[in-house]
Amino acid sequence: MKLQLGYIDINDIKFDKNPRIENGVLYVDPDALVASVLQDELIKDAHFEIAKPGESIRITPVKDVIQPRVKVEGPGGVFPGMVAKETTVGSGVTHVLRGMAVVTAGRIVGFQEGIIDMSGPGADYTPFSKLNNLVLVIEPQENFKQHEYEHAARMAGFKIACEIAELARELSPDETETFESPTIKESFENFPGLPRVGYVQMLQSQGLLHDTYVYGVDAKRIVPTIISPTETMDGAIVSGNCVSACDKNTTYHHQNNPVVAELFKEHGKTINFVGQIITNENVYLADKIRSSDWSAKLAEYLSLDGAIISQEGFGNPDTDLIMNCTKIEDKGIKTVIITDEYAGQDGKSQSLADADPKANACVTGGNANEVIHLPKMDKVIGTLDYVDTIAGGHQGSLQADGSIIAELQVITGATNEMGFNKLSAR
Amino acid sequence: MAKYKIVHYINQFFGQVGGEEKADIPPEKREGKVGPGLAFTKALGDECEITSTIICGDSYFGENMEEATATILEWVKEEDPDLFIAGPAFNAGRYGVACGSIASSVKNELGIPVISGMYIENPGADMYKSDVLIVETGNSAAAMRKAVPVMAKLALKILHGEEIGSAKAEGYIPQGVRKNYFAEERGAKRAVDMIIKKLAGDEFETEYPMPIFDHVDPAPALKDLAHANIAIVTSGGIVPKGNPDHIESSSASHYGEYNISGIDDLDSTNFETAHGGHDPVYANEDPDRVIPVDILRQMEKEGKIGKLNDYYYTTVGNGTAVASAKKFAEEIAQKLKDQNVDAVILTST
Amino acid sequence: MWIVTNNPLVRDKLSSIVEVQYHDETYLGILHVMRDQIHEGNCLLTHPLSGSVKPNETPYKSVLMASGKSGQTDFDSLKLIESAEATAQKFIDLRPHYVEEMPERVKEDCQLIDYTLIVSAFPSAGLTTL
Repeated sequence: MKLQLGYIDINDIKFDKNPRIENGVLYVDPDALVASVLQDELIKDAHFEIAKPGESIRITPVKDVIQPRVKVEGPGGVFPGMVAKETTVGSGVTHVLRGMAVVTAGRIVGFQEGIIDMSGPGADYTPFSKLNNLVLVIEPQENFKQHEYEHAARMAGFKIACEIAELARELSPDETETFESPTIKESFENFPGLPRVGYVQMLQSQGLLHDTYVYGVDAKRIVPTIISPTETMDGAIVSGNCVSACDKNTTYHHQNNPVVAELFKEHGKTINFVGQIITNENVYLADKIRSSDWSAKLAEYLSLDGAIISQEGFGNPDTDLIMNCTKIEDKGIKTVIITDEYAGQDGKSQSLADADPKANACVTGGNANEVIHLPKMDKVIGTLDYVDTIAGGHQGSLQADGSIIAELQVITGATNEMGFNKLSAR
Repeated sequence: MAKYKIVHYINQFFGQVGGEEKADIPPEKREGKVGPGLAFTKALGDECEITSTIICGDSYFGENMEEATATILEWVKEEDPDLFIAGPAFNAGRYGVACGSIASSVKNELGIPVISGMYIENPGADMYKSDVLIVETGNSAAAMRKAVPVMAKLALKILHGEEIGSAKAEGYIPQGVRKNYFAEERGAKRAVDMIIKKLAGDEFETEYPMPIFDHVDPAPALKDLAHANIAIVTSGGIVPKGNPDHIESSSASHYGEYNISGIDDLDSTNFETAHGGHDPVYANEDPDRVIPVDILRQMEKEGKIGKLNDYYYTTVGNGTAVASAKKFAEEIAQKLKDQNVDAVILTST
Repeated sequence: MWIVTNNPLVRDKLSSIVEVQYHDETYLGILHVMRDQIHEGNCLLTHPLSGSVKPNETPYKSVLMASGKSGQTDFDSLKLIESAEATAQKFIDLRPHYVEEMPERVKEDCQLIDYTLIVSAFPSAGLTTL
């Protein structure tokens, strides 16, 4: 399966009645976009804001971050099963608006976190401070159930991202990059001397604000399966996740999976990147056993020599992670796991809820309990109402001077377990 | 320029007061440097001065922790040094615990930076490494010459307010404290680099070493309790009255083997505890509370167990080095095997 | 099969579908109840650290449990509950008074999240959902 990504660089975003992309500037008409969002009767009100790198802006509570992409050639469309039809994606040509994102923000539950600071110390911890962000702030209708509203907010983000991406359909990209994932037969023929390496991606799948969708299917209802990494570049996996903001994968993370990117860089040189296995993180213990058995079975089926396993979230996924790791190691396949830590504010506590000596190669996204002081920003997009109760915050997190003292876990993507960031711990 | 002031804590031996027979001396404060302080003064150079040295007997410190700590803290407070150095204690268990304890108090109660030095297996290292920077040393005073320059270098870094590097780079015992930092490469790249090394059989360094549990698989269940020979082994320090083999109240250097055939009940007239790490009143009142000889005898009479083994084995777990405990256990295990013991009840306090 | 919970929403909404053993307990308290049931020979069907809301951010926890093999302790369940208790204690020590500080509306949201977490296991457990 071969996919060409054509990158259209976006260096700035401006509001304008005439939506277009011109000389690296994205012009959007906020009124038209609001009208589009309000077609969903669950959404009472919506407005758009622009946040650029270096500005004194705090965005919170962040629900999702989405990169606009449009399918230019080949079957299917971006966000299959969500926006486009369920047709298999991952081949042809897709245009990508590089350097920007659509950020959805607004209240769903009262302890919601997710902070993106565009400048200051907090900006160092989130990758989204480096992007030009078009922020969609949503206000729900009253008397609707939270999960209905979560759905509405999630879909609004995808819809807006797709509408904006349409502007790039006819443009010629600033840069192109081609990714090809092999069939099993090709994978054996292409690089016979190189170790066969796969990627096992764990998807959070547990309930409201804890869900992930694959081609529109709730991931808790899948059994582990093989997916082409190029499918994920076309939005085959999307996020319905936002609590424990530091180690939840936004849709942007899935579209720009760093493990996939780094494996492709070494593909054909030091390793033979054979494919990607996705598995879930359910609360039901028998599901955990079955899923980890299956991910190990599929790793063996692909005749892997090595596998990188990435986790998503806190607590019980540690159990899934260790099960995946030990079962794959037991097949004689070497593993590296990527996780993050909850070692307490002083860093002295046990980092993970589960452990095993077989997990002897571990990459960490850092200690999410570490405390950070986020200075006041001139502008808040969204609301600070929940900062005092957000995960990782605590009563009194919000200081009188508008600054915030909280744990890193409030920052969107800070300790990402796909290894998106440079943060680590020692 | 004023020199950095340093206060140095050492025990009776390094203070050249005497050996074990002087281990019970209370703390004393002397002006200037004593013993290893000379080597430190040389290594630290002109910008530092050991203005006073505090000498305390290891047993005294262990048995009078509160008093000793209060006295020493008062002295250190008066002196108001820029740095407090304790030891190095090498593999001396009680000395290590004293160094760790007093350094921790100085740091936390007076806010004065501290360092110490110990052998990795010194029980004081495990107890205080997360709180106190402890340079890893050899296991005896012969390693002084190697330990001093490493400790001095770290001391100067602290005095200069420089950033302290990793445990490996600076030579201190890893603190088990997780601290965030920004690596050169993003996590995914680090993971790919790691898998390449792991696949090639090259050395790689995990970013989070899994906690190691010294895991012992449980022995298979006894088939026939009614005919089993059951022995008692304890780290609770229960010894015949008078502690005939002088098992130390902490950092035990040996264990005892005692015959209990014919004894149905332990009481305050025939047994006691040698343990210095807990309030001994209840153990001394009725040593069966630590090793249940009375109940086992009863079960023996009722035929529930075959027999209570004639000998039991005892030591004091308080501050005893893991390596010593392992050594004791190997010998004890062999003796138990020789006596055809089927099962052991292990008790601790 | 039954639910052990300290979440009133779970009690109110799920009692018609499955036996719900409701206890007015703290987070750690309800984990103890689960542990005691495991000691009595029962086993966990769902993970006691379900969800990403930390033990010091929500007062509520629900699990599905079932009878184990007679006369045997389910050591997998025991290991899970013990490590869950240790993890929960670690978080609660950081912020011991979170529940008292929590506004009523936030509690309701916590109840809802916990409810969706336990319901997410229903299809796997062969239970119908509402």
